[in-house]
Amino acid sequence: MACSILRTSGAVFFATAVTLFGAPAFAQDIVLGASVQLTGPVANTGRYYKDAYEFAVDKINAAGGVKVGDTRRKLVLKLYDNQSDVNLSVRQYTQLVSQDKVNLLLGPFASNFALADSAVSEKYQIPMVEGGGASDQIFARKFKYIFGTLAPASDYFASTIDMLKQLSPEPKTVALLYADDAFDVSVAKGTRPLLEKAGLKTVIDERYTSNASDFNSLLSQIKSADADAVLVAGHETEILNFVRQAKSLAVAPKMYSFTVGVPSADFRKALGKDADYAFGMTAWLPSASLKDRWFGDAVQFATAYKAKYGYDPDYHAASGAADVEALAQAMENAGSVDPQKVRDAIAKLNFPSLYGTIAFTEDGQINLAQTVIQVQADKVVAIFGGKGFVEKPKYPMPAWNAR
Amino acid sequence: MDLLAQVLINGVLLGGLYAVMALGLALVWGVLNIVNLAHGAFIMLGAYLAWHLYTYLGIDPFLGLPLTAIVMFCVGYMLQRGLLNLVVRAPMFNTLLITFGLEVVLTYLAQLAFSADFRTINPPYAGNSIALGPLVVPLARLMAFGVAVVLTVGVWLFLLHTKLGRAIRATAQNLVAARLYGVEPRHLYAVTFGIGIGLAGAAGCLYGTVSQINPYIGATLTAKCFAISIIGGLDNPLGVLVGGLVLGVIESLTVLYIGATFGDVASFGVLVLVLIVRPSGLLGKTA
Amino acid sequence: MTALRLGFVIVVAAVLAALPLFGSDVIIQFGINALLLAVLAQSWNIIGGYTGYASFGNSVFYGLGSYGVAIAMVQWNLPFAVGMIFGVALAVVFAFLLGVPVLRLKGHYFAIATLGLAQVMSAIVSNVSVAGQNIGLVLPPLNNDRLFYELSLVLLIVATLTVFWLTRSRFGFGLIAIRENEEGAAVMGVNTTLYKVLAFALSGAITALAGGIHAYWITFLDPDSAFDISLNVKMIIMAVFGGPGTVFGPVLGAFVLSAISEILSSKVTNVAGLFFGVVVVAAVVLMPRGVADVVRQFRKSGWRYFAENLKAHRI
Repeated sequence: MACSILRTSGAVFFATAVTLFGAPAFAQDIVLGASVQLTGPVANTGRYYKDAYEFAVDKINAAGGVKVGDTRRKLVLKLYDNQSDVNLSVRQYTQLVSQDKVNLLLGPFASNFALADSAVSEKYQIPMVEGGGASDQIFARKFKYIFGTLAPASDYFASTIDMLKQLSPEPKTVALLYADDAFDVSVAKGTRPLLEKAGLKTVIDERYTSNASDFNSLLSQIKSADADAVLVAGHETEILNFVRQAKSLAVAPKMYSFTVGVPSADFRKALGKDADYAFGMTAWLPSASLKDRWFGDAVQFATAYKAKYGYDPDYHAASGAADVEALAQAMENAGSVDPQKVRDAIAKLNFPSLYGTIAFTEDGQINLAQTVIQVQADKVVAIFGGKGFVEKPKYPMPAWNAR
Repeated sequence: MDLLAQVLINGVLLGGLYAVMALGLALVWGVLNIVNLAHGAFIMLGAYLAWHLYTYLGIDPFLGLPLTAIVMFCVGYMLQRGLLNLVVRAPMFNTLLITFGLEVVLTYLAQLAFSADFRTINPPYAGNSIALGPLVVPLARLMAFGVAVVLTVGVWLFLLHTKLGRAIRATAQNLVAARLYGVEPRHLYAVTFGIGIGLAGAAGCLYGTVSQINPYIGATLTAKCFAISIIGGLDNPLGVLVGGLVLGVIESLTVLYIGATFGDVASFGVLVLVLIVRPSGLLGKTA
Repeated sequence: MTALRLGFVIVVAAVLAALPLFGSDVIIQFGINALLLAVLAQSWNIIGGYTGYASFGNSVFYGLGSYGVAIAMVQWNLPFAVGMIFGVALAVVFAFLLGVPVLRLKGHYFAIATLGLAQVMSAIVSNVSVAGQNIGLVLPPLNNDRLFYELSLVLLIVATLTVFWLTRSRFGFGLIAIRENEEGAAVMGVNTTLYKVLAFALSGAITALAGGIHAYWITFLDPDSAFDISLNVKMIIMAVFGGPGTVFGPVLGAFVLSAISEILSSKVTNVAGLFFGVVVVAAVVLMPRGVADVVRQFRKSGWRYFAENLKAHRI
């Protein structure tokens, strides 16, 4: 009996081995590989990257592809679904590199995925440009093959706090809430010294469990401590619950701001009118001043994107499209698809794109300032960028029953 | 003092919602001895059903609740009749395994059918509240609480005072005894499972009006329902209500006094304590 | 076990050991993953399959093993081997401290009591500064998948030998007696509390080793990924799928399920999860005693095997 079981297990092992050998793509095409979350709990944001990657690849191909040396070559995207599972994503990246023989890599969504997957690109020395992980840790490892197009997590609230100082009546007290994962803890860590420097009094500084669905206790505390400004670093699901429960408990601080959700169409759709007054931040807004070689400018990108996928692109989508452009541009600059040469070209990149100027720091991260945004009558409006106000903020937020 | 009172109100209202979520799980577990790992996924489906009724037909979630419950009852009845009845006499782990498989299937089907977008059931009154001096009682939660009490008492009366209910209770003790009531066991099992799933559907309607819905909420909800059923005990719906209230209040107080990351820890601590002191639940019969 | 069978086991082990010499990187990575899952299923088999206590707390051992290695290597600059020992020590201490009260509970109640352990540990660890709190720890990368593969294989062999030993030793018979009838076992003079806690600790130690290897291999861990309850569900599924309480069932279950899910996720990528669920449901209906039983019985009864199963378990 032991015999037959073992024989079966051996056979299964080898059958898998055989099945996993796939056919390589055409030699002439340049294959970009990525594993993103198309299913599983993170799929909500993960799929933006699939759309963005495909969109940018199609556009570049429509323009004749990438000019490497003297030949024009098309881009091909090889995409896997990692089912929101970090381990699976590591295996899929290894498969992309060693089996599918992709030329270059695009990143997954979320910091913990980027942390694990960047080890694969480092190991095989294939550059990866990722637009989905902002945690400072990804770039603190001194890896040479990972580049990121999201602004550093620790700076997320910097522009918001600058803005607080210029609002009237000026908020005096702040409540800081953050989820207990790597990214949001990084955000909170970066925010505390900024609050102190700005002379704001932190009345609540509380970490909560990721995926928490009940914020009633925390909201009651915010109400009782009478915080003027509430800063929340979390995930979109939590933030939806937070806003809905704030309404039902009639908790209305002078302002609240969220790290994620506010820029996305999904957020406004889910909350309807209740999304109004929510502040947020984005490193990207579709502005005609962002010129782009392939799309013309960011407004044209946003319009074409919405026409194709049926929702407004947010900074995730723009960042994903910029990743593809960064690889394309770097290959042209290097005049080669050799991973080593492309890697060096990426490090030296400095070109305008729909997402902003693409240029990486020594560590491999991009440096973009966060623009403060606010939902005003179902529209995302840029409020505060760099030094001053772009638009008038709706401030202070009125009581819920006075809206 | 106001803060404490407010947090207590929040906890009690949350507890009502918890109770209605766990009611179906406890019933199926207690009677059929099936630990339904897909219970949360059925809550999710109920919530989506209510969302569709509200968004496309304009049916208020509280009015749509009976309809949702009936549809989900049929789903549950057919599942038990067509699938789960095939394995009820297999070893205990197998029902765990099959409901796990069901959970995966339902979650993925939901994702294919409804996408990973977040949904909320947001009738105009959902954010309203009643002010009691400095205290605030959220209207939707209060209504959900009321429905929870009605449903719990309803299930309790049904089990105590109807022929079918008594047959179901007898089944929980002994399948042979159940035959004495003249009900065919296959039908009886399916009805019980159907009621469990119908209650999950009803809970989904309430959940959707106070929280957000996506295809992946199921697993977390199942875990919570487990804890509530254990604290309350499996043999009495009123116990589940008590379990829900206890858990809701304890979680809210923990967040207030200890810290927001400890809510789940506290509820688990209570769970283990109850298990060790009273293994059949707070209102359960002592062994 | 006859000499022939023993020979066959050795041949299979040798072929598996030689796999890195001719397998591609993907195969090796798949191998590491499948082998580690098989170790987890096998160690769960000790407490779940043989002793009859469905533990949902094994992912805590896994997390402790991971953190043992990570803390030793990152914070204290100690070698990997010391980290593994540290992880095992943590797991064994945990098994004794928690096992004594919790193992008093029976059946579903034990399962439920262990269900929340992972979450509690995750909340505790995220407040421990030496464990990197919520940010987690990043380990120095070691690009040697072959080494990880061979380590995992050795661990699987050790785990399987341990289980094999259970089927012939007094200790193992004691555990089986507890599973079949705990009061009876006590009457027969089995020190049930001691036996159960030892089985829990043994299961925990092996699980911790698997966690340690995985942490060093994946180079990054945070509380959520280390104390992941879905991993615990996975090990139970794999053990039950293969056949709990048998020597090779859990290993077979882990290999078959890993293979199915791997092939699905690289072939039909975004409906892989759906197919996986359908496979699990169908497996329970058609082969309720696990793959090991199918392999054993199929020769005898052929396709009727499935029909008989259906008949035996429905009402």
